[in-house]
Amino acid sequence: MKRFRISSVALAACLAASAAWAAPGTVLRNDKLYAQPNATAAVAGSVAKGANVEVLSKQGGWLRVTAGKTTGWIRLLSVRVGAGGLGGAGIGDVVGAATTKSDPSRVVAVAGLRGLNDEELKAAKFSPEEMARLDAQGVSGAQARGFASQGGLAAVSVPALPKPESQSSSSWENN
Amino acid sequence: MRARWLAVALALAVASTQANAFDLGKMLEERINKELDKKDKSKQTQPAQPAPAQQPAASQNAAANPPLAKQKIDPRQLGFALFGDYSLEDENRIGRQIAGNLLGAVPLVRDDALQRYVNLVGNWVALQSGRTDVTWRFGVLDTEDINAFAAPGGYVFVTKGLYRLLGNEAELAGVLGHEIAHVAQKHHLKVLKQSTLIGALGQAASNKAQGSDQIVQNLIGNGAEIMARGLDKDAEFEADRIGMVFAARAGYDPWGLPTVLQDMAGLPAKDNRTSLLYKTHPHPADRLAALGEAVGGRMDAVRGKDLPDRFYRIK
Repeated sequence: MKRFRISSVALAACLAASAAWAAPGTVLRNDKLYAQPNATAAVAGSVAKGANVEVLSKQGGWLRVTAGKTTGWIRLLSVRVGAGGLGGAGIGDVVGAATTKSDPSRVVAVAGLRGLNDEELKAAKFSPEEMARLDAQGVSGAQARGFASQGGLAAVSVPALPKPESQSSSSWENN
Repeated sequence: MRARWLAVALALAVASTQANAFDLGKMLEERINKELDKKDKSKQTQPAQPAPAQQPAASQNAAANPPLAKQKIDPRQLGFALFGDYSLEDENRIGRQIAGNLLGAVPLVRDDALQRYVNLVGNWVALQSGRTDVTWRFGVLDTEDINAFAAPGGYVFVTKGLYRLLGNEAELAGVLGHEIAHVAQKHHLKVLKQSTLIGALGQAASNKAQGSDQIVQNLIGNGAEIMARGLDKDAEFEADRIGMVFAARAGYDPWGLPTVLQDMAGLPAKDNRTSLLYKTHPHPADRLAALGEAVGGRMDAVRGKDLPDRFYRIK
């Protein structure tokens, strides 16, 4: 299980062999397990923050998980998939390193790679040539609209998400 | 402090109706230099002074770049002091310099079809942001590092390493939506607003559209280091909320960005490709938790497309 990615093909494969497809996960906040992937379905159980679950499949904003003896659907954002626990930087991801081995191409790609670093960015000099390239690939709003409609995309009204009360005291609001 | 002396300068200018633009500019120039001197001295004697402590890097930069004093002050810059905001022209200049520096460190992937595709998706998502006053430019950077960047004025970059993690167009839209949100909310400009060099920006006509802009460079520090400093974590959480909504408004499955965050959370902690990302952003697990709290059931009724077939795959 190299990555948490479920295309419809993979999902079908999972459903065909559901026992074989399971990734570890950690519950990020107290939430319910539902019998179906929607909040109007019957409640199958509940899970507490920090609980370990097995992630079986994904559908839209929902994950099918097993917690203890209960299997049900939980909101995608209530679970962190992977072996890092509740998370936060610096927590070792031992199983993550192990799971990476299941994808040989990735291991090869990572070996010898060095990420971007502060020094490189500090030393950076303005590149007019690259900026010209960037500008040359720009598209207009009209082109973007045409592209969207080719894909069957249409603008829809979605209300803004309010800032959760627990995340108060932002200096950004008053700036 | 800045507000006070500019107010004095303005009062003097208004009192003297003969004062023309040049006189006002010269006067402001002298005042700015005086203030910068004063600030430097007071910093030496009072290191605990709160105002400079907010942006030590920028203050040091002010001291390290005296050529500033030789520039003419544009009285239009008073607009900043009065309204506390950058002009669109200033925003574009700042963004262009940051973007050009970043591209000096990491070039674009030499794949025109890829760059074109990302610009089409990005512009469509950006149309939902309400910011139609900037020219949006999107680019894929040729590095396996996993990261994305935004600069003022509508510049958005995603690395090849992050792009490889994506599985469909909705996920790309979510990632770009997050960066578009930084531009729409002017997060980087808000950081720069705390800089002592604000007053200097309106100086001298910007006839450097093609090249490096030294005045802006003084403002943003060395090279593209502003991209390595990162933003407040609240700004990142906000960009996640807004970015998810922008992608949903564009007709995409809203779960693109959360899925990418899940993928990143599943990467090994010691992966070199994410070291800069984790230095400048909260851990993906924390971002998932914060976003989950904001979303709850609010996206339950939103249906969108994820378009895996149209998604451009890097060779």
